Amino acid sequence: MAKKSYDLLFKLLLIGDSGVGKTCILFRFSDDAFTTTFISTIGIDFKIKTVELQGKKIKLQIWDTAGQERFHTITTSYYRGAMGIMLVYDITNEKSFENIVKWLRNINEHANEDVEKMILGNKCDMDDKRVVSKSRGEGIAREHNISFLETSAKANINIEKAFTDLTLSILNKTPGREPTDVPEKINIDRKSDRLSNRCC
Amino acid sequence: MTDDNTIDVKNNFNHLITEEKNKHTVYCTKCPSKILSSTMGKHLRIEFNLPHMSQKKNCESVECELLADYWMVPDMYMFDNIGFSKTVESGIKYLICADCEIGPIGWYDDNTKQSYVALSRVKHVEDS
Repeated sequence: MAKKSYDLLFKLLLIGDSGVGKTCILFRFSDDAFTTTFISTIGIDFKIKTVELQGKKIKLQIWDTAGQERFHTITTSYYRGAMGIMLVYDITNEKSFENIVKWLRNINEHANEDVEKMILGNKCDMDDKRVVSKSRGEGIAREHNISFLETSAKANINIEKAFTDLTLSILNKTPGREPTDVPEKINIDRKSDRLSNRCC
Repeated sequence: MTDDNTIDVKNNFNHLITEEKNKHTVYCTKCPSKILSSTMGKHLRIEFNLPHMSQKKNCESVECELLADYWMVPDMYMFDNIGFSKTVESGIKYLICADCEIGPIGWYDDNTKQSYVALSRVKHVEDS
């Protein structure tokens, strides 16, 4: 069998209401006036991308939910094995922002509990049509303890950073990466703290 | 025609092959995306009808090209950057550039999990 050409493999998902630009974040259908690309009519399933972070060669397998954006259609099988989720809303669409809470609930119900999440407010190039302020986005992210970015797939703002940040957060909690990162040790310390508190 | 070290693949592929593997790094023909590192693909002669990268608009039938020279990649994670279309028929997905999405540059067989990249639809550049 061929040699392994990478150190780590992360499965990432893009989730959010339809029309928020998830597909544009990952997929850019090019279409010129005379021909239609054959692929755009079939649709794209997933992509594999290679990034190098902290000296590690990481393969990202990235999935989009295109065409099945209603909550009930996205269940456990879709989330299986996912290590990172980008939760996308559209800053020009109030409803898509309100639905972030529903998506978070759906993720909590169906996805692995330690999945890394990130909230993206997309279409930030369309400031004249903005209805969701940046501080509201930051607020909901803070409330759920999730990192947040405003992005524009169209103007290529923060797209690269979103993928890098999400990959880094997964990398940073990948076990065995740092010999000092032993969660058991922290737990034991906490327990002894609590015990001593109780004694007092 | 593009870079000085780009190798023309129109007719004979022998100069691209070393010990049955791809001698050079494989790139997209339309953008700078790196698809496959050298020696990751195995040269296979297998006939497959691959749809043209551009199809005429308002044309119902899909025009294909019978191609026979492919780099077979046994594991999809051996690619540097690659995209997969939705399944079109009996476990077949088309391969596309992960960045500019031009394609099909090959196909993937979900039954065997093997990918096949058409030599004539990618660019081969000598490792510097």
